[in-house]
Amino acid sequence: MRTIFSWLYLILAFGFIYLPVVVLVLYSFQESGLPVPPFDGPSLKWYDDVLRDSDVTDALTHSLLVAVGSSVVAVIFGFLAAYGLARYTFSGSPFIRLLLIAPLTVSYLIVGLGLLIVLTRVGLGLSLVTAGIGHVVINLPLAFAIIFASMNAKQENAERAARDLGATEMRVIFFVTVPMLMPAIAAAFFLSVTLSWDEFIISFLLTRFDITLPVEIWSMLRSGLSPRLNAIGSVVFLISVAVVLILEFTVLRKRHL
Amino acid sequence: MTAAVQIDNLNHWFGSFQALKNISLEIDSGEYVTLLGPSGCGKTTLLSVLGGFLKPTEGNVHIGARDMTLLPPADRPTTTVFQDYALFPHMSLRDNVGFGLRMAGVDKLERHRRADEKLKMVGLVGDGSRRPHELSGGQRQRVALARALAVEPEVLLLDEPLGALDLKLRRTMQDELKVIQRQAGTTFVHVTHDQEEAMALADRIVVMNAGQIEDAGSPRQVYNQPATLFTANFMGEINQIPAQITNGQASTELGQLPATGIPNGEAILCIRPEALCDEGKGLDLMPAKVTDATFFGTYVRVLLISGDAGGLTLSAHLPPGDIPPIGDFIQLSVPTKALRFFPKYRT
Repeated sequence: MRTIFSWLYLILAFGFIYLPVVVLVLYSFQESGLPVPPFDGPSLKWYDDVLRDSDVTDALTHSLLVAVGSSVVAVIFGFLAAYGLARYTFSGSPFIRLLLIAPLTVSYLIVGLGLLIVLTRVGLGLSLVTAGIGHVVINLPLAFAIIFASMNAKQENAERAARDLGATEMRVIFFVTVPMLMPAIAAAFFLSVTLSWDEFIISFLLTRFDITLPVEIWSMLRSGLSPRLNAIGSVVFLISVAVVLILEFTVLRKRHL
Repeated sequence: MTAAVQIDNLNHWFGSFQALKNISLEIDSGEYVTLLGPSGCGKTTLLSVLGGFLKPTEGNVHIGARDMTLLPPADRPTTTVFQDYALFPHMSLRDNVGFGLRMAGVDKLERHRRADEKLKMVGLVGDGSRRPHELSGGQRQRVALARALAVEPEVLLLDEPLGALDLKLRRTMQDELKVIQRQAGTTFVHVTHDQEEAMALADRIVVMNAGQIEDAGSPRQVYNQPATLFTANFMGEINQIPAQITNGQASTELGQLPATGIPNGEAILCIRPEALCDEGKGLDLMPAKVTDATFFGTYVRVLLISGDAGGLTLSAHLPPGDIPPIGDFIQLSVPTKALRFFPKYRT
């Protein structure tokens, strides 16, 4: 009885989480023009349609560029901040740590609006770069927190040994610190990529002519539901899943050893 | 390679705490020196100063003829074997050992050759491609040693290198360390809190306490003729007997004993347990009552109470075989040269 109940609970919980995704993916294979029951597929015609649409494929490329670019920058800055704060103590370092993590609590809308005001004032035209800046702002605290949390005495001692053996500070970082922190750095990177990949508000506010995929989807939504959107959504979902799987099988698996 | 070390008037403060007090020490090239003392005595601080990890508040360190006081670790002819090994977990053993050579710009082929040679020296043949996490504690220790020796330092610093190993392995590694030191000819400075380890390894033991050097000398000298009461105590079990000195004569609970070179007044008489015997050799002491006797293989440790009830507890290491019955009175004696007197209020 108890096991039946727990299984039921599990199925319901996962159903709640994944049913929308299943429905979305299912109706991307719809034959007719509306993603509503009854299902009359399967058909790949909407995928064909979507992948022929240069607006969509451009947006996809832009999204990838912004995601990877902003994540690289966020992880580099996050690592440098974590290294500095973990290795050197100075007055006010707890405060600086707090300031670095604080943006996590600010809503994306506020971050986006703030940046929009600042960037227009500065006179920097809106583009993929400005959207990337926005994504660095939201991903840097996360990258910092993940990397900082995994820094400990083990790397510090290895760094000391490296210095003892004649390594300069740059070489200590490249040969010892970064490789030892690779799991955390990769985790921070992939998490940043997934967050940037499907981020909407900031991209919406900070892009103009070249837009990212979530913004493209939003503008398509205005002309009503279509299985095309389901097809795009499925592609987005597939890419996100791929990133998470890469993370799981490369980085996180090593940690279990 | 090898070089002498000269330490002059070293003082170091951590905030208001003085960790090193006026340390001066000369270490010959090729010498094996252990810095021995309880935790917090400043021995690791002194090693950090030698390695360049700590700039002393005052004083100088010369290695060879050069003043090293302000040089960072990377620029010193010293390397360190750390207590926790501090191996690079993401590198193979060969790359670990070759790291210092890589930093010095030695090409890959030569680096690998020399790394393998050093791994062989510490008894890890053909293991070069393994990773540190595949090794036992003792093997990691060997890799750390090989890594530190690979750059052929003039002075090798060892920070409690055997502290994490079990007793048997520790004794084996001690023997190997000594062999390796003779082979390499490098000056070794080895920090430990284990007096047996210090005696097993050192040409010279430097005993430290509360940031100061208490005593320095060969193991035999430091054990048998300790300069201070602290050293006497720290180097092994010892009987401490209050004494009153009057003109070269000490009156103690064990009887009247000769005491030369010590001013009149209160003093402490120290006698090693193995110096006491029941065979009537040397000076006779007052009879003492046996309260306990334990067999230790090579000797019997006998606890006695001297004189009447409430007297002093003594420990004596007697030859195995004749375990005295508890409650018996035995007559102990001690050779004159085994008596060590220290003024009472100096530790």
